[in-house]
Amino acid sequence: MAEAADFIYLDYAASTPVDPRVVEAMFSLLSADGNHANPSSTHVGGRRAVECIAHAAEQLAQLLNTKPARLIWTSGATESDNLAIVGAARHREHRGKHLITMRTEHKAVTDVFEALARQGFEVSWLEPGPDGVLAADALEDAIREDTQLVSIMHVNNETGVVQNIERIGEACREHGVVFHVDAAQSVGKLPVDLSALPVDLMSMTAHKMYGPKGIGALYIADRPGVGVEPQLFGGGQQRRLRPGTQPTHQIAGFGQAAAIARESMQQDFEHLRRLRERLWAGIAHIPGVVVNGSLEAGFPGILNVSVEDIEGESLLLALEPLCVATGSACNSKSQEPSYVLRALGRSDALAQSAIRFSIGRRTTTTEIDLAIRKYSDAVTRLRGIAPEQAG
Amino acid sequence: MSGDPYSERVRDLFASPAHAGNLEDAVSIFVSDQGVRLFLCAQCENDRIMALRFRAWGCPHVIAAAEAFCDEFEGRQVRDLLEFSSSGLMQSLPVPVEKTGRILVLEDAVRALGTSLRDSR
Repeated sequence: MAEAADFIYLDYAASTPVDPRVVEAMFSLLSADGNHANPSSTHVGGRRAVECIAHAAEQLAQLLNTKPARLIWTSGATESDNLAIVGAARHREHRGKHLITMRTEHKAVTDVFEALARQGFEVSWLEPGPDGVLAADALEDAIREDTQLVSIMHVNNETGVVQNIERIGEACREHGVVFHVDAAQSVGKLPVDLSALPVDLMSMTAHKMYGPKGIGALYIADRPGVGVEPQLFGGGQQRRLRPGTQPTHQIAGFGQAAAIARESMQQDFEHLRRLRERLWAGIAHIPGVVVNGSLEAGFPGILNVSVEDIEGESLLLALEPLCVATGSACNSKSQEPSYVLRALGRSDALAQSAIRFSIGRRTTTTEIDLAIRKYSDAVTRLRGIAPEQAG
Repeated sequence: MSGDPYSERVRDLFASPAHAGNLEDAVSIFVSDQGVRLFLCAQCENDRIMALRFRAWGCPHVIAAAEAFCDEFEGRQVRDLLEFSSSGLMQSLPVPVEKTGRILVLEDAVRALGTSLRDSR
């Protein structure tokens, strides 16, 4: 097992280290002296666990400017996406079976829509522009009378491209369509005001914002026509929408991470912006390097770059000990070029050379400078080994 | 299970490919297939291979396999190239089964180099 000093971690979009204050909040609940009781129990221990969960819900609700009662705890963003999309599609299938999403969504969304398509729903797949952004009229053109659900992510996990969820949500409201947002990459990093945003369902997860893995949440707006059919059965917890014993320590960790994010979001954002500018300035001069997505429309925690005439797997190995990604971590064992980058119009070769640098709260300028040097050296070395003949 | 797709040997060969490069006055071959581009060149005296070099565009296993081949076959006979099989490299590196096709590109290139060397005499 590698020690922390053995590598430079630039994969914060895949997962973040748990903040020590979050660890402390969780650890205090696990021991015999903590609130370890089952929150479904009615005895004093159970009631104290319920209080912990209520406190965490309040912390997360404050981050999102919503009410704690609108939040359902899940195991993570994948489960939230499944519950939101399948649950809403089933909730409204008596009205129609047309659904809309984008080609560039996370697999936790695209695979759900593909499953629904096999079950008789009709899915429209919207294409982004070359910068990854959904064109203003693309959604309007796709919405039909029988459209029930639109699902568009906030920040793309591979490119960092930020979609205008306010404008998309307004179009959905205008047509009476439920709007789901996969916000796994944005909650805790960008301002999300659910009292103002026209969003009906929002998926989020703790481990992308310095909380623990294994805990997520789904926001469900209190609006007529908005609801989800449960996907799990087995108890009455969480209004039967997501039964199962609630993991008090995980939830408390998520709540603490949300409270920290609320305090440090602006400072974190400026830190990421400065470091991404430094990283891009350091590698932009390398011949053939291009940004995937858009610097202007991108969340500064992510810089995804491709480089001409370099084999991606060799580049990734040559970059060690940098921990970076070739695409989404969920997909990185695949040799296939990223479907997200292909949807942006990248060739197979260019998509296959893509490296996603993702920066976090703990990233230093020294680490960015090392990343610049490693990337530059790796490209030079691999080009030096490659045949001169064009393939 | 470590989850590391690369053996120590593959890592070493990939990190320090001593035979990457060109040779003057050499017989060479270039192949492009299966997403791999491979250039091999050799200098011979009589039937003995005095020096081998390669250039490769491909995954780490391809680069490691090309380096391992060059290291192993310097000093051998040209006829050994004509009979070259990649199965030994596949096992010794080792190379994952899904990359068999890429290593067969190396096998084809080695045999083609052997044919060119034989015909050039």
